[in-house]
Amino acid sequence: MLNKLLKYDLKYMIKNMSVFYILSIFFAITTRILFNMNQSVMIKILSQISVGCMFAMIANTLINTIMRSWIRFSSSLYKDESYLTHTLPVSKNDLYNSKFIQTLIFFIVGFLIILLSLFIAYYSKDNWISLTNYIKTITTGLNMSTSFFITMAIIVIFLEIFNAIQCGFLGIILGHKKNNGKVGYSILFGFIIYLIAQLIILGLVFIYGLFDSTVMELFKTATINIDVNAFKVLAIVSSLLYLVIITIMSLICKNELNKGVNIE
Amino acid sequence: MEFTFDNNIPIYIQLLEYMKIYLISGVYKCGEKLPSVREFATIFKVNPNTMQKALAELESMNLIYTERTNGKYVTKDEKIIEKLKDEYAITLAKSYFQGMKKIGLGKADSIKYLEEIDD
Amino acid sequence: MISMKLLEINNLNKSFDNKQILKDINLNISSGKIIGLLGKNGAGKTTLIKLINDLLTPTSGEILVKGNKIGIESKKIISYLPERTYLNKEMKVSEIIEYFKDFYEDFDDKKAKELLNKLDLNINEHLTKMSKGMQEKVQLVLVMSRKAELYILDEPLGGVDPATRDYILDTILSNFNDNASVIISTHLISDIERILDEVIFIDKGEIVLQSDADKLRNKEKSSIDEIFRRMFKC
Repeated sequence: MLNKLLKYDLKYMIKNMSVFYILSIFFAITTRILFNMNQSVMIKILSQISVGCMFAMIANTLINTIMRSWIRFSSSLYKDESYLTHTLPVSKNDLYNSKFIQTLIFFIVGFLIILLSLFIAYYSKDNWISLTNYIKTITTGLNMSTSFFITMAIIVIFLEIFNAIQCGFLGIILGHKKNNGKVGYSILFGFIIYLIAQLIILGLVFIYGLFDSTVMELFKTATINIDVNAFKVLAIVSSLLYLVIITIMSLICKNELNKGVNIE
Repeated sequence: MEFTFDNNIPIYIQLLEYMKIYLISGVYKCGEKLPSVREFATIFKVNPNTMQKALAELESMNLIYTERTNGKYVTKDEKIIEKLKDEYAITLAKSYFQGMKKIGLGKADSIKYLEEIDD
Repeated sequence: MISMKLLEINNLNKSFDNKQILKDINLNISSGKIIGLLGKNGAGKTTLIKLINDLLTPTSGEILVKGNKIGIESKKIISYLPERTYLNKEMKVSEIIEYFKDFYEDFDDKKAKELLNKLDLNINEHLTKMSKGMQEKVQLVLVMSRKAELYILDEPLGGVDPATRDYILDTILSNFNDNASVIISTHLISDIERILDEVIFIDKGEIVLQSDADKLRNKEKSSIDEIFRRMFKC
């Protein structure tokens, strides 16, 4: 049944997100075309507008991926539509998993669309070389390989945002246990859970630091001028911690859903 | 046709009345196969269970019978239908006279009124 | 007709914020019946129905559907019509038919299309473009196109015109089968009482009476509607 649920969750997201995907790629293309035309004043103005639109659409893609995930989650589990959702012959776990996977997929797709838009708009040999050189200066300074740096950066950012989305899910579930002010409590709880999750990760990194003096340095000194190894370890440790927190949070969400809901 | 039911009286009793009239007036003739319970329920717009109850009652009065697999039939015995018709006619006549009595008219007067009515 | 416990409710209680909405509900419902769940507005009809459909969680007590607790198995055999419009309005009618077909093994899409056809309804139309009355009819058709064992219809007659009311009653009657039971909740008793086998009176969160409809009429020599009015005079 999970695949059927997922089919409809994905359909919903495609319906609501594709406009942003199309527009960001569209403005990326116009940006590209306008850059390549002879640079009259008019064209310059137009290309500035095009760049502005592209970045607006990129921001929309990111923000909407997050917001739509929350809206979809709360509307299909707690609003009028929930009368259908909760009476389908499927398990609560499947209901949650479908939303989780849907969010994950659209998060990745959105990310790729953003990269693709930037690539279309700005790719040229010169730009590519200057970008790689820029990254290289950072990585050689930090004494790590380029691919490692990029991979870790993407993973940490990805997990961080995904964690935030999931905090929202748990916030919605807990908020809807209240009899009044469900939406307000959802936002409040989501925010509190997010803070708690961040503090837990920070606390765990600190505990890790008790055993690893290089990481501990991050807590002690204000300067960046410390052992670069600490960054590597920090990236890996915090990624793992995020994964653990996300897993635990999913289990809490499912457990809460399985206890039963109270729909208005 | 629209059937109206009085909610004050058990529905199956009212169905029984409708069915009796059908049998007396020959809508369903002696030995004829009857529609199924479900079809009847759709015709009368009533619950099939209630229809079933009415038909069971008709069966206990020997007005209809069930052939094991083929469904229900009107009795082949014309006398039973005739008798039912008699009874029904008498009931109607009685209620007519009772009504007339209420407004102070005797039997003889009542019959006079009957004769005056043009069909 | 085989009499088995299709729905069994034992000592069910439901409270919100220490306010008790349902008090010690005990109920047994067997197959092959049309049952009226009758009560005034706010008597607890919808709360009871939502508990059976897993939209609310009991404070205490248990609900069993053919011996199973509320869950996947119960949802497979219960076809539920809420008192509100609940379908995703962005969807076309044909998409919703597809949705029901995907999730309910007992859904008969041919029958649904046939019934919708009779309503002169274009299945390629979006729900948003339909009147509320039309949307409610679509919902009824979908719910009755399942070959379920228990249909639960919450206030299907609330605020509809007489023609629609007849359409709804006809649809319920002609799709009801011997193996199934139908629970219809309503406060408009006179409209519906002629099709009921059994009645359940609910008042202030308590079951006051459960009886065969014709037996009750015979005993009290009056209509269910009148008996109800006498019992719950304001």
